[in-house]
Amino acid sequence: MAALPNVLALDAVLARGDVWRGDTLASLPMASLPSGFPVLDEALPGQGWPRGNLTEILVDRCGQGELTLVMPALARLSAEGGWVALVAPPWLPHAPAWQMAGLLPERLVVVQPGKALPWCVEQLLVCGGFSAVLAWPGEGMDTRSLRRLQVAAEGQAVFALLWRSTGVARQPSPAPLRVQVSGDEQGLSVAILKRRGRPASRPLLLAVPRPGRRSDVVAGPAFSLSGARSPAVSAIA
Amino acid sequence: MVQRGRIVAGDPVATRAGIFPGQKRSTALGLQPGLRLFERDEGRESAALHAMACWAGRFTPVVSLTPEALLLEIGACLRLFGGLSSLLDLVLNGAAGQAWTLRWAVAPTPLGARWLAQAGADAVFVEPADLHAGLDALSCEIPAWGETVLRRLQAFGIQRLGELNRLPAAGLRLRLGDGPVDDCLRARGELPDPQVSFVFPEVFVSRLELPSRVEHAEALIFAGQRLLAALAGWLNVRQFLVRACALHLTHDDGQVSTLPLRPGEATADEGLLLRLLREHLGQYRLHGPVEALSLHADEVFARPGQSAALFDQALAGEGVMACLARLQARLGVSAVRVLAGRAEHRPECASTFQDPLAVATNLAATAMPHFPVPAMSTVAATPTRPLWLLPEPQALQEALDGPHWHGPLALLTRPERLESGWWDGGEDGARGDVRRDYFVARNRHGQWVWIFRDARGWFLHGLFA
Repeated sequence: MAALPNVLALDAVLARGDVWRGDTLASLPMASLPSGFPVLDEALPGQGWPRGNLTEILVDRCGQGELTLVMPALARLSAEGGWVALVAPPWLPHAPAWQMAGLLPERLVVVQPGKALPWCVEQLLVCGGFSAVLAWPGEGMDTRSLRRLQVAAEGQAVFALLWRSTGVARQPSPAPLRVQVSGDEQGLSVAILKRRGRPASRPLLLAVPRPGRRSDVVAGPAFSLSGARSPAVSAIA
Repeated sequence: MVQRGRIVAGDPVATRAGIFPGQKRSTALGLQPGLRLFERDEGRESAALHAMACWAGRFTPVVSLTPEALLLEIGACLRLFGGLSSLLDLVLNGAAGQAWTLRWAVAPTPLGARWLAQAGADAVFVEPADLHAGLDALSCEIPAWGETVLRRLQAFGIQRLGELNRLPAAGLRLRLGDGPVDDCLRARGELPDPQVSFVFPEVFVSRLELPSRVEHAEALIFAGQRLLAALAGWLNVRQFLVRACALHLTHDDGQVSTLPLRPGEATADEGLLLRLLREHLGQYRLHGPVEALSLHADEVFARPGQSAALFDQALAGEGVMACLARLQARLGVSAVRVLAGRAEHRPECASTFQDPLAVATNLAATAMPHFPVPAMSTVAATPTRPLWLLPEPQALQEALDGPHWHGPLALLTRPERLESGWWDGGEDGARGDVRRDYFVARNRHGQWVWIFRDARGWFLHGLFA
């Protein structure tokens, strides 16, 4: 008879969002954010990007559609009136493009923290007023800072996203969700390196919106320089 | 503590050495050779009491100041603070946080509370019977009664107020005058005892002389905390919010340097101001040792009414503006920016970056902030724009097969012509006239870029991240 309370307690423990069985995905009710890509949602615990947890996206080269991957989620947050912070972005955000993606520029804060990046991200996470904090830490982020950030994000309804290079894929990280992204001819290949639940078997291929159409190629690498240049250059000169 | 050659007060160590008030300076020095004597400065005492009175404004609006005591009328605000014991904890912890040592008492009559506090009761007397018992046990050496009365009482052989109280009042009035008898009745609550309430000043300026010269900015935090505590109490009682205040540091050479504190949004919260002060002082380099601090509330305005939530809606954290103000305090104003779009065809000019706190003030000023959301038809017609823009266009290598950026670039769209801009051609920092053909291109690594060609060649200008 003594075993009965233990069984009940185990069920209660398994119902928690941060405890999961190895053969299923953790379900995190109320704490996720639909990504806008149904295939990706199915593969993520809680059917979307987690809120109140650190998420790492590992990507090597900028411009492969990695930011477009999170844009639907950010647009949803912005439409609710949420604030979005970009910490140490690699380039300048171009207001018309962000606006077209559905974000309010007035709610988009750009911070250049220099060396104080971990402190700065922690403050933004803890303050509780931001819906999303996106940070590009570069190389200077040790495990201790990461753990601090994870603790800071816990309990806040914030979508905390770190952009790191694929070189750190093999290093351990306290972030519960780690995703590696690389551009492909067909679309964006998204490999989930770590999630709460069973490991993902193979990368997902997502069709993220890209400018222009592939059929629109007007000049490939065999682009004739003299032919293309003549009218335009003569008009300028 | 010495006044006119006589000891006025001493710390516990001095008391243990046998030093008592009333002794001569030389006697005291003989008892305890290493004694450190300080001349009593009544001006500083009253300034400190004044600051305490401002601070006490957070607990009750009815505060009265006597030369040696501060009286708080707390009967009406017990419910607000959840009972006497929690209010008492708040007051005592608040005073201890500012490193004041209090002698206090809680009693139904002001004079009774004052006498009990001066005798060091440190206790609560709620019922009149308790108060009478407490008063009866007090020594009847009330300094305010004067030398003659005290000597006469001694001649009667009376030590305690209780013994005095048992004597017939009419006879006492003849022998001692009305003052002492009326005082006893007031203290016992048998005569009314209206108090002159402290008038909170119209303009907040508080000055604090430091006991010793301070050379490190961070050591000023503690002194600043006392000033901010007084400011917060004053704001509370006057129902004001402060938008800007300034800490003036007086150096030992008479120079004054100013440290402005601008919280992100108008506030009356001491903790927030203190955090801001901490950030500022952490960055601040003192020109020289500091002797005195003064805090001026520069911009205050009446607190707007707030409607409280019907149900509990706990707001976690301090809010966006306060956080941004703190980041600005540490990183500099230019490091924290909010994006703003501008109707401008030259890509460099289409985004501007603004001070978020200034924007917030403007937004609050206009009743309805306008968020330009493009209609669906214009979205379809709007040309593609990259999310990232390079601060300066980057010149691209050119080979026989066109521009190169991490490999050859394949052009994916027809040229989009963006030109003109003659109107700011001569201005500093302006882009001026441009004539560019923009293309979307992709390299073999799968990077989508926005490049343009003008008279000088190919340039990379943005990334479709």
